[in-house]
Amino acid sequence: MSANIPNELRYAKSHEWIRIDESVATVGISDHAQAELTELVFVELPEVGREVEQEEACAVVESVKTASDIYAPLSGTIVAVNEPVAENAGLVNDEPYKGGWLFEIKISDPDELSGLLTAEQYLESISG
Amino acid sequence: MAKKKIVEMLIESATMELADTKTIRLKWPEDYDVSFKTGQFITLYWPDSPKYKRAYSLSSCALDQGYFEVTVKRDGKMGTRIVDWAKEGDSLYVIPPTGRFLPVYEPEKHLICIAGGSGVTPFRGFAREATRRGLPTRLTVLYSVRTTRDIIFDTEFRELESQNPHFKFRVTCTRLSEEDPWSGRRGRIDTPWIREQVTDLPNAVFYACGPTALVEGTERLVIDEMGLSRDQIRLEKWG
Ligand SMILES: Cc1cc2nc3c(=O)[nH]c(=O)nc-3n(C[C@H](O)[C@H](O)[C@H](O)COP(=O)(O)OP(=O)(O)OC[C@H]3O[C@@H](n4cnc5c(N)ncnc54)[C@H](O)[C@@H]3O)c2cc1C
Repeated sequence: MSANIPNELRYAKSHEWIRIDESVATVGISDHAQAELTELVFVELPEVGREVEQEEACAVVESVKTASDIYAPLSGTIVAVNEPVAENAGLVNDEPYKGGWLFEIKISDPDELSGLLTAEQYLESISG
Repeated sequence: MAKKKIVEMLIESATMELADTKTIRLKWPEDYDVSFKTGQFITLYWPDSPKYKRAYSLSSCALDQGYFEVTVKRDGKMGTRIVDWAKEGDSLYVIPPTGRFLPVYEPEKHLICIAGGSGVTPFRGFAREATRRGLPTRLTVLYSVRTTRDIIFDTEFRELESQNPHFKFRVTCTRLSEEDPWSGRRGRIDTPWIREQVTDLPNAVFYACGPTALVEGTERLVIDEMGLSRDQIRLEKWG
């Protein structure tokens, strides 16, 4: 398994990564997910201000072969989206953990944080 | 900048180029706002199967406005469905153009476009744009086909060649019978043949497009055998 899975991030089984900064979570898709999806050609981002429930589909990424829903890993309000990926979906392939982030959620239920996977647990979930 | 959108487009025309290769022209809807470059690809899916998508290089160029053209070979599920079933009046969903397989139209450059079979599709766009804009950039397509019946866009490439002194279209056939009257080159694309076409290697930029085997073969030829650097080669792998 050569996928890059930064230790400082949290993960969801559905392949999102989550970077927590106080009450705001930045969300993207893991390096493993972008590699599985192959070349991305389109990203549909949620509206800023939208309220999302944990595990609610709120974005879509389309590759040259398929489409995949992206789920909100935590409940809350979308407070920012990464417009550049809507113009250039390839950013998600090139820099999944940097320029390829997708959206930010203002977290409404901090209790949900404990259910997220650590890097080690995520690695285990994709090594199966 | 306008937000990128996936839109449904009508097939305005469908033309058989060869027995197994079809060009479809997809008409932009009213007020379609798109910015794209020659050499990019679009991604298509049928309204009844939104999860099954496939990419196709534009065979039209950025100066062709109002429609996209793609040229598809009957191969695999999507390729067969388009070639056998797509007809005028049908509609397909189109994800806007993307990709980095872009011609560098700098005056001193010589673009060497290496294609096998259907991999020639984006090079029609390259040659159309260079010719219509009257660019001084040299452009040579080296095209490997099995037989003379497999040459896509033969007529248009020859016309562009007659209009553009900087454009050359060279075909090599790999599986012709000995008796065939073809007087052109035979055999695979190899280093000696490439060297004959390129007078100043430092200004050459190689492009290879199509099935992975051909693209990787070209990469080896250019990097390992000819010793050029990575930034002198652009690749578009299809599979
Ligand atoms: C950037 C890009 C640009 C492209 N541009 C073009 C273009 O301009 N023109 C073009 O024609 N194509 C192009 N392609 C390829 C195109 O996207 C499709 O892959 C192609 O049309 C085949 O359709 P498919 O993927 O549905 O085939 P699939 O059904 O997924 O099959 C893929 C391959 O596997 C083979 N195959 C399938 N099933 C079997 C089996 N059971 N046994 C053995 N072999 C099998 C098929 O023959 C085919 O070669 C491009 C691809 C990319 C990524």
